[in-house]
Amino acid sequence: MSDTFPQRLPDDRVSVLVVEDEMIIALDVQMMLEDNGYRVLGPAGSVDGALRLLDELCPDVAVLDGNLRGRPIIPVARRLRSLEIPFVLSSAYDIFPFDGSEILEGAENIRKPVSEGRLLAALQRALS
Amino acid sequence: MDLDELYRLLRGSHFQAISIVNTLRDPLVVLDEGFRVLSANPAFYTTFFTSRDETIGTAFADLGNGQWNIPELRLLLEQVIPRSTSVIDYEVRAAFPHIGLRTMLVSAQRLSHPDSGQRILLLTIVDATEKRQADDDKDILIGELNHRIKNLLAVTRAIARRTAVEGRSAEAYREDFLGRFDALSRSLAASTQQTEAELSRLVRAVMEPYLTRGVTLEGEEAITLLPRQAMSLGMILHELATNALKHGALSVSGGLLDISWCLADDGNGHPQVHLFWRESNGPKASPPEATGFGTRLIRFATEVDLKGQAELQYQPEGLVAELTFPR
Repeated sequence: MSDTFPQRLPDDRVSVLVVEDEMIIALDVQMMLEDNGYRVLGPAGSVDGALRLLDELCPDVAVLDGNLRGRPIIPVARRLRSLEIPFVLSSAYDIFPFDGSEILEGAENIRKPVSEGRLLAALQRALS
Repeated sequence: MDLDELYRLLRGSHFQAISIVNTLRDPLVVLDEGFRVLSANPAFYTTFFTSRDETIGTAFADLGNGQWNIPELRLLLEQVIPRSTSVIDYEVRAAFPHIGLRTMLVSAQRLSHPDSGQRILLLTIVDATEKRQADDDKDILIGELNHRIKNLLAVTRAIARRTAVEGRSAEAYREDFLGRFDALSRSLAASTQQTEAELSRLVRAVMEPYLTRGVTLEGEEAITLLPRQAMSLGMILHELATNALKHGALSVSGGLLDISWCLADDGNGHPQVHLFWRESNGPKASPPEATGFGTRLIRFATEVDLKGQAELQYQPEGLVAELTFPR
């Protein structure tokens, strides 16, 4: 995969884009991932911030909150789909009742609060 | 048949009469078997800004600009006539002449004239627009509250997990956890979802457990923060304070801590908050282990959440920190 993505970071850790607007949860998820050998991109706390990050970097996988300060994650999910980057969701919502949420179909929702085991297992599944 | 006649007709049937009279404050129309308007009450004319001339004799489906011309509604009404069923609160959401987009609830019942056997339809129309809007607003509010509660539980859990346990007693862990937990509560109390928080109020609330003779707080009173900014800044202040108490100026008697803040232009015409944290007269400050949750939280909250900078200088006389972030 590193051949197809020249932007990929020059270390062999798997890179994970974290998109989460609640600061302490974002930090917690970042630390979980780093403790387990992942490299974290972001965390981005807004849809625009995540899209800006994706303009420059190409993560291997992403963890997305469903709703960022009242704005659905849809544009980020759409960009990830077009870049063929798999993602998992971490949302307090059980359902995604907003326009365009069909783009989230097939993505696993690990829910909130984030459990380390569930997060790592879901990332493994998304990457395989 | 007009309404007076209808009343006379219904006088003998007390039960039905009461249920109809009770609805009279709402628009009411009487239709014949072909769904033409036989009669309407004053509430109908005032609600829909229409007149008797425009209404009587007109097909129900042609009233106004045709908002009632709904095949499904017509089908329902057609069943009312032969089967003596009723339609209750059929919702019609449409743009009406003069009154705009409205949600109307239509109820229909069949009546038979005892003498002629003529079957008529009695239609009441209730404007439920405001009630629906209020219900929707309430649902949204409850949804937001629900989301906030879940988030808050997730935040609390993250704090519990990230508070250090290695080589520490349960009591020490509990104290650290509750310190963070209380800082979170105090930050939340300083603001609610709807209102802005005042920086000075936030600083006083979060620093309250640490106020001793050596601590001074000074700054502009009228700097407002968004609730999320208040929470981040509250947590940052708590981490700085707890470090000062354990290793810094607040760990010794005679140690001093000055916190001051102001609002200034960032050079591009945007207001920027400056918060200064100056410890002095204490032990020599040295950088804590870089991987600690508290240190990371200070950096992370300032840079990612507040979109600002945290400058931490570990000086011989104590920690000097400056936080800068756009308001």
